[in-house]
Amino acid sequence: MDYEIKMPVLSDTMESGKLIKWHVKEGQSVKKGDVIADVESDKAIMEVQTFKSGVVKKLFSKEGENIDIGKTIAVIETETENIKNYEKPIEKKRVKTVEKNSSDKKIKLRGIASAAAKKTARDLDLDIENLQKENKLPKPAHLEDIKQVVLKRYFTPKALKLFKGYLLKTENFTLDHKINSTEVKEYISKFSVPAVKKLSSNRKGILKTLQESIKKPVYHIYETLDLSRFLDSNFKLTSILIKITADSMQNHPQTRALLKEDGFYIYPNSSVSVAVSRGEELYMVVIKNANLLSLEEIDNWVREIKQKDYMPEDLNGSTFGISNLGMYNIKAFDAIINKNDSGIAAFGSLNEGKISVVFSFDHRILNGKEAALFVKEMKRRCKNG
Amino acid sequence: MLYREALNRAIDEAMRDDQSVVILGEDVGRYGGSYRVSESLYAKYGSKRVIDTPIAELSIVGNAIGMAIGGLRPVAEIMTVNFSLLAMDQIINHAAKLRYMSGGKLAVPLTVRMPGGVSRQLAAQHSESYETLYASIPGLIVFAASNPNYAYHALKKAIFLNDPVIFLEHELLYNEKGDVDFENEIDPFKASIIKEGKDITIISYLKMVKESAEAIRVIEESLDVDCELIDLNSLRPVDMPTVSKSVKKTKRVVLIEEDHKTGGYAAELSARIAEELFYELDAPILRIGGEDVPVPYNRKLELASIPTSEKIAKKIISWGKENGL
Repeated sequence: MDYEIKMPVLSDTMESGKLIKWHVKEGQSVKKGDVIADVESDKAIMEVQTFKSGVVKKLFSKEGENIDIGKTIAVIETETENIKNYEKPIEKKRVKTVEKNSSDKKIKLRGIASAAAKKTARDLDLDIENLQKENKLPKPAHLEDIKQVVLKRYFTPKALKLFKGYLLKTENFTLDHKINSTEVKEYISKFSVPAVKKLSSNRKGILKTLQESIKKPVYHIYETLDLSRFLDSNFKLTSILIKITADSMQNHPQTRALLKEDGFYIYPNSSVSVAVSRGEELYMVVIKNANLLSLEEIDNWVREIKQKDYMPEDLNGSTFGISNLGMYNIKAFDAIINKNDSGIAAFGSLNEGKISVVFSFDHRILNGKEAALFVKEMKRRCKNG
Repeated sequence: MLYREALNRAIDEAMRDDQSVVILGEDVGRYGGSYRVSESLYAKYGSKRVIDTPIAELSIVGNAIGMAIGGLRPVAEIMTVNFSLLAMDQIINHAAKLRYMSGGKLAVPLTVRMPGGVSRQLAAQHSESYETLYASIPGLIVFAASNPNYAYHALKKAIFLNDPVIFLEHELLYNEKGDVDFENEIDPFKASIIKEGKDITIISYLKMVKESAEAIRVIEESLDVDCELIDLNSLRPVDMPTVSKSVKKTKRVVLIEEDHKTGGYAAELSARIAEELFYELDAPILRIGGEDVPVPYNRKLELASIPTSEKIAKKIISWGKENGL
């Protein structure tokens, strides 16, 4: 057995010791407690003893040499039979077992990114620095950016489109091949993943209006209007309906009323909210003071309104609304009253010059008689102008 | 129940249940406490257990330590943390270390209550926060009560712990209302998650919890994110498991304190988060704290020197935008 004698720590501040003198030679027998050397610390000269008996197998330093603390200065063979062929003990160098792969990974930690992004990139074997050179990653890159790169790497563009709509996670798939939309669709179907459509701010507003509408005391009036004299007109049907509604409202103040806590606020002009559908969204766009506009002006408004960007003031300030689903060949339907409007007229499809309308009124603003008179006037105006 | 009423009730119940509980401090007796925390206790328990002391902080804590060693459970009140500087030697060299120095033979079951933070125009010498000092001392436990429920439960537990507790209150919280759940006890060493979220972890304590909660609505709307709000409750030891779990989930962390930013409690916590959770972070840690100036007397300047809900929202929103949100 080898017993190694090391440079002892002789003071708190000592980092190395100077070997002053050897008291033994290689091959010499020593007993436990024998002094084998004198060493000098930064403070004093001290004796170094052996704590085991045996034969001095090797002395590693020369007298006068400085030796770091903890380093072996001598080896004593405690089993005296195996002294022959002694060689310097293998120095336990701290050789890091660096494998090729791990050094590669180290390089890939370069690039400007958050710590979490780097960790994920390393796990996924992505080279952030290169990707940033190729402008495939922003600087600095965050976790979300890395996820996007992974998505682009392992998913076809069509598959990616599905990703957005379905709140899927990459963890759901094995990332060892390019995944196409068919595979994603199979996953969606197999695990019954729902498509998620986020609410637009407009949709949130509509939801609020609808919630409020539940509280309104609404009743309906069903009528058929005769529009046969407009059959040859070049104006859009919606424009004609706006004109008739706005003009009729002039003789029925309650249709121009806004209900507030302290009473009705009755506006002089007729402002009408008109249901406009655009893509998946529904807007109640308001045509202000429509009673002051000619049919031509109203028609221009109707033709332009579909392309316009709506500002908040385009969607506020009405007291009565219309909705026209006639173009979809709907016979008749009833509509939800917009915001604070007094009522809404829902127009079905035009059939041999006749159109069926369902009026919804808020009873707090218009009672049955007032509403009936308003409807009667609209009916008259359609027929006779 | 008001925050100060919750504290009063905790002390009252502790005194009722255990004869060894005594309170001492300036004006805690006849006057009922500077912030009315010990109101009516003098009449109830008498001058032997509710002790008015001279204006001498070192002796308040020194006497309390003696009582604690002798078998009582004293609750010492220091009028504000600013004056606790005078009692520092007793707190740090004695209360914190006697168990250790005596090889476990002495215990110091002492609670030192003190309010701190920026109130309304109390000026520089009465507006400091010294939690960082106390939270750095081995041997002390530091609780920071941000609401009546925690104030009630944690103070009661603190009184019956066998080691010294620095119990931090905030001067502007005494009249804060909140429900106290007397049925369910809490673990005072555990941080509480005030609001769950998945995108940003906001960590705070004392009054800044309230400011943070108010800021969250604006932040969430502006960045379209979901914030998680953590109230640390215990500053020493700090509940790292709760912090760690949240940061691992959100990957982004904001630390909010009223104390001066340099060397503040958030500095220590952010170092720990960086050490222990570095590879979880998807954005630099954001610290929001007071300015590095003595707290001004002028109300506008005073407010300018500490975080408010508006400033918190603004800073988090711009930090979020710079860091991928």
